[in-house]
Amino acid sequence: MEQEAAESLIQVASSDGSNPNSSDGSDPTCSEAVTRVKKLLFRRMLVGIKDGRFFLGTFHCIDKQGNIILQDSVEYRSTRRNSPSPMEQRCLGLILIPSSCRTSCHVGCSIEEQMSLLSV
Amino acid sequence: MAGTIAEEATVDLPLPERTPIPSGDHSVWADVSPLLDAACQDLQDGMLIHGDNFNLFAAMSALEIMDPKMDSGIVCKYYSVDEAIEDGAAPVPISSDRTVDVQCTIDIMDHLLACEATWHKGHSLAQTVFSCIYLLRPDRTSSHALLHSYCRVVRATCKTVVSVVSDARTHEEEDLFTMSYGLALHGDGDDKCLSMLNAVEETVNRQLRACKAPSLKRRVLEDFVPLQNNLELEEGYCKALLCRLRFRKHFYHVLTCMKRPQGRGLELARKHIASCISELECILNSSEFLRSRTVGTHEGSIEDKTTASGCQPIGFDASLNCRLSAPTPPRSIKILSWKKAIEYFMKLLHDLDVICSCPLDLSLESVLHFVAEFQKSLPDLVARAHLQRLLVEDGKLYGRDPVFGVITRAAAVPDATRIHDVQKHESIVHLGQLVINLLKILCTNSAWQRRKLGKILQDWRVVYIQLEMAFRKESGENTNFSNDENVCRNVVQHILVWVEEQTYWIASRFLILGFELELYSHSEFCMVYWYIYVVLIKILEKKSLKMAVSNDSGKRRGKKKRDSVKDVARDIRIPPAILFLQCQICLAEGLTTMLAALRNEHMMVQSPSPFNTEHERFIQHFELLQKACIPDQSSYPLFKDSTIQTRLSNLVRYDHFKDAQKIVKEVKSSFSNNPEKSAELRRLEQVAEHNSIALNIISRAAALDPSLKVSFEFNHHPYFATAVVKRS
Repeated sequence: MEQEAAESLIQVASSDGSNPNSSDGSDPTCSEAVTRVKKLLFRRMLVGIKDGRFFLGTFHCIDKQGNIILQDSVEYRSTRRNSPSPMEQRCLGLILIPSSCRTSCHVGCSIEEQMSLLSV
Repeated sequence: MAGTIAEEATVDLPLPERTPIPSGDHSVWADVSPLLDAACQDLQDGMLIHGDNFNLFAAMSALEIMDPKMDSGIVCKYYSVDEAIEDGAAPVPISSDRTVDVQCTIDIMDHLLACEATWHKGHSLAQTVFSCIYLLRPDRTSSHALLHSYCRVVRATCKTVVSVVSDARTHEEEDLFTMSYGLALHGDGDDKCLSMLNAVEETVNRQLRACKAPSLKRRVLEDFVPLQNNLELEEGYCKALLCRLRFRKHFYHVLTCMKRPQGRGLELARKHIASCISELECILNSSEFLRSRTVGTHEGSIEDKTTASGCQPIGFDASLNCRLSAPTPPRSIKILSWKKAIEYFMKLLHDLDVICSCPLDLSLESVLHFVAEFQKSLPDLVARAHLQRLLVEDGKLYGRDPVFGVITRAAAVPDATRIHDVQKHESIVHLGQLVINLLKILCTNSAWQRRKLGKILQDWRVVYIQLEMAFRKESGENTNFSNDENVCRNVVQHILVWVEEQTYWIASRFLILGFELELYSHSEFCMVYWYIYVVLIKILEKKSLKMAVSNDSGKRRGKKKRDSVKDVARDIRIPPAILFLQCQICLAEGLTTMLAALRNEHMMVQSPSPFNTEHERFIQHFELLQKACIPDQSSYPLFKDSTIQTRLSNLVRYDHFKDAQKIVKEVKSSFSNNPEKSAELRRLEQVAEHNSIALNIISRAAALDPSLKVSFEFNHHPYFATAVVKRS
């Protein structure tokens, strides 16, 4: 199920002509997965970490170890241990999220794009 | 530890679909974790996926999440203050056992004091005082009169201190100090904290009296509810509480009195300071009783404890709101121990007392001197902020004396002259701003102060030149002066002399602060003393000129009745202030020549720096002075020329230190009623005496014993070094 969602998203990304990095898609030295991830750059990314916080920012960079850098990020935290609960937020700017503490990672995409691509 | 807590927190993790984080209009969150994992596996070592705007250097400054040194938001025990309270981290009452409740209340009071001192020492309010959960929720404590009144007065005190420090703007280097974003610094009714504190104090006082009167105990007990259940401990607890409450009350009074405009509350403030100090002593004494009540506290470790009893206080968690204070890295902070906190407050109160004892009719010169003397005791931020607020208020000295009047008095401009036209002159207005600025700078910490003093030297120079030009232009346009213009010229002439003197005074302070900050290495002492010497000579020159001018105009105004013989006698006697300066000049000159001679004859314990030449170091130290042409012709070649020929044999023939000693003897009696000046004179005398003897020994023994080495130490005076001769 998750794999499916990811796949559909990748296709959404590859059909996204507005991506400024689209020229990299033709790079023959990159694997398909790398090419797809490149297309996710500059998209809004939501990363959840171990202690329950979420970070929402612009996807800026990822390295081999899976450490992610987000730009203009905002931190979200619940005010209670048992969810759902109201969330607090604050701006953090440029942050590095080590892969060791990452528990989830989502990218924002439009429903239409996803729906149309799911039917393919 | 933080790791395991974080693991715990992952239980029942909210999924992003269920969280209220919006993914934007018409869009959804799609999971990309598997894709990222796949891509990472395909990446080669050292490769990154990034866009065109990526900059590795900029990426280095990213805040690392979950790094305890950078990420202040790590969720530790609780997600929020409310959750902590629900979990019972800060119960009200603290215990159902009233004895334990009182004991815990005292622990909270002590820990808060330690937090407050730590805050004053430059940490953020959120991580210190407001680590107290009781303070964060003002209404919760309302049923607990003791705690409630104490929390209120602490909040009100913090608020007052924040306002004084941010008004004074002396906190540039202690930038965390005034940040109170998101904190309940303004609790409802905190302004009425004193009446509540008084009521609580009165109750405890009655309880104390009741338990102290054994014959009446029965009867009294019917009327009063005792503080707690154990009657044997009643007196001890009452006393421990009373001194703590009274300290808070008087301390708050001190701050509000000192805040009154134009220094009107200083006298009253001093009374409260005295009360504060005596209550602090009582608090210190209460420690014995409180410690006797706790079981299992180790004697040795009490020094590190933040409470008098040695117990860990209830209701504190610094991690709860450290995320409030913007995305700054959470510096790991250690709360001062309770003993250190009391020491800090003792020092603060003494410093405040010095400020309150400042006479409000001082001349500008005396004010500058007062501030410089005050800074010698290395006062902390809060005390310095209070001094600055007292000195500069609404752009006036003491909030009362307009700057122009202060300047004319300092420049000894004759009172009779009409000065209104000059006052409005652009450069005079500018000069006024410089004076206010100077006063503010002198109240900052030494490092900041030195930097700023170095920078404003140029401004003082510029204002001098502007004044001089304006004055010349005016007199050039009109060759036959009217009476008014003559007056104006006279005023400007006085002010010009004073501006120069003041500029050199700033320069000397700049140089001397370098010793306090330990910026000079031993091999550089020679050039530093040389520079101090040239600057002091200039001050002497301007001071004498000022005196001559004012004497002149004094005489011109004509006091013909005075006996002419007496007049002459007064002129011949050199004023003690000048002699004092001459003594310092002798020492600076003596040290310069001594150091130069020792260097020229290779007798100094010093190694040449491999990194930069002496010339470069000269520029590094005095660049700001050189840029401002202070003094006019001083330069490295001049320094080199004046010291290169110096030999020990010449020095013994003409001993500057002997001169200094002579002057001290002469001037001593004039300062007999000024303990501070006579102490300084004694120090100068000691330096002169020591160095004079050392010089003799060196010159005699050097020829016989080449292994003789000389080093310099500051064991008699903070910036005039004394020579130490050793056989190596």
